Amino acid sequence: MTVRNRGALAALAAGVAALTVAGLVACANQPAGTVGAEEASTLASAPPTAASAPSVPVTAGELPAGPKIIPPVRLLIPEIGVTATVNAVGINERTNDFEVPPSVDQIGWYRYGPGLEADAGSVVIAGHVDSAKQGKGAFFRLRELDQGDTVTATGSDGEARRYRVVAREEYVKTKIPLDRYFARDGKPRLTLITCGGPFDAKARKYRDNIVVTAVPV
Amino acid sequence: MQLSYFRRVAAGGAVAALAFAGVGAFTAGPAYAATSKVSVVHGIPDTPVDVYVNGKKTLDNFKPGDVAGPLNLEEGDYDIALTKPGEPIGSAILKVDNAAVPGGANISIAAHLDAAGQPKITPFVNDVSKVDAGKARLIVRHTAAAPAVDVRAGGTPVFEDLTNPNEAKGDVDAGNVKADVVLAGTDTVAIGPADLNLKEGTATIVYAIGSAEGKTLDVVAQTITGLHSAPGGVPSGDGGQAGTGVDTWWYVLTGAGVLLLLGGGVRMATARTGRK
Repeated sequence: MTVRNRGALAALAAGVAALTVAGLVACANQPAGTVGAEEASTLASAPPTAASAPSVPVTAGELPAGPKIIPPVRLLIPEIGVTATVNAVGINERTNDFEVPPSVDQIGWYRYGPGLEADAGSVVIAGHVDSAKQGKGAFFRLRELDQGDTVTATGSDGEARRYRVVAREEYVKTKIPLDRYFARDGKPRLTLITCGGPFDAKARKYRDNIVVTAVPV
Repeated sequence: MQLSYFRRVAAGGAVAALAFAGVGAFTAGPAYAATSKVSVVHGIPDTPVDVYVNGKKTLDNFKPGDVAGPLNLEEGDYDIALTKPGEPIGSAILKVDNAAVPGGANISIAAHLDAAGQPKITPFVNDVSKVDAGKARLIVRHTAAAPAVDVRAGGTPVFEDLTNPNEAKGDVDAGNVKADVVLAGTDTVAIGPADLNLKEGTATIVYAIGSAEGKTLDVVAQTITGLHSAPGGVPSGDGGQAGTGVDTWWYVLTGAGVLLLLGGGVRMATARTGRK
């Protein structure tokens, strides 16, 4: 074999290697993709209200009492190694955004929405995918969840409630139908949210939100 | 006492009719929304009634302090009559004919005393616009036989100089607040204090009812739910470790790979032809 031939072979081999690596990387970096979107949207649609009830509801006009809400305090997702403390959180006054707990190993339950006791609506828990300072967050692998995986939420009453994942969706943040995920009507469901998609290193922001929907088992 | 109220209710009928006509003027809703939600609030002390709508008994033995509804009423005119419980509609103690219910509105009709203690009916249009995430709407309505009042939250006046039959409202942080009602400009407590739980995404409507003179001042509350908004967004990561999609180096690598393959291939081909 000539020197020239060997050089050509080496070039070919290097080319194949480069393309193989590129191919593998491209596959590994595929967005999580969306499964069960239709099921998630069906859960959100409220059942039709009964047509004109025969009698008019009458209530004593008492001052509203504090509602009995059971906040989730612990979340367990064995498939992706999540065991996290859940904090009750609200709204960031300055940004009007969901106040995700600053500590990335903790996650936040939206305290204005339904609690675990609710027989309707979406219980929302959000957590960091990661942080520049603290590294990987509790929901780093949320996008790996798939239909049928199990999520267990333990309430402040100590009762562990099991949920089955029915959908995983990825939305560009500007297009995500947040009203649907923060709904207080529709079937009872657990909604887990984190960030994902391409990362804008300059703005230090992910483009997308990953949303996992689970229903009580 | 009760009888005198009945007589006054009858006298208040004409006022009520006028008040109903007024609702249409300030609730010109969208044309497609023909149905309105109508609630009825009873704020006349010691006077239970039956309520008839278009000649049909709609509320039986409706008690002071109670809230009925919401009823879904098609846009249109309604005849409303109040009778003593069990009495025929012919002997109504208060009648309102052709009360105009506009389309697409949320209305509360309050039967209450005016500032001088005369029974009357006042329709209020409820503000059911969305509140911002984290907020609750507080609406206070002066429907009592009492002078002007201030409403205080945690000791600080939030609504001042409120008179019968008017309302004051504001969107506030959701949560608990200790509220009371004082005579306007004074520290003389007329009603309360009471703990108010203002649930996020709701409107809590508090009616001051009864009579200061008769020592029957009290409150009736009505809650409207479903006014919540979603947060602006869910920012939950600034590390970039989970970024998907490919970086610039990927394109460089792929480009180099293709060039190497082409280059190598061409060289092989030329090498072969060269040897022949």
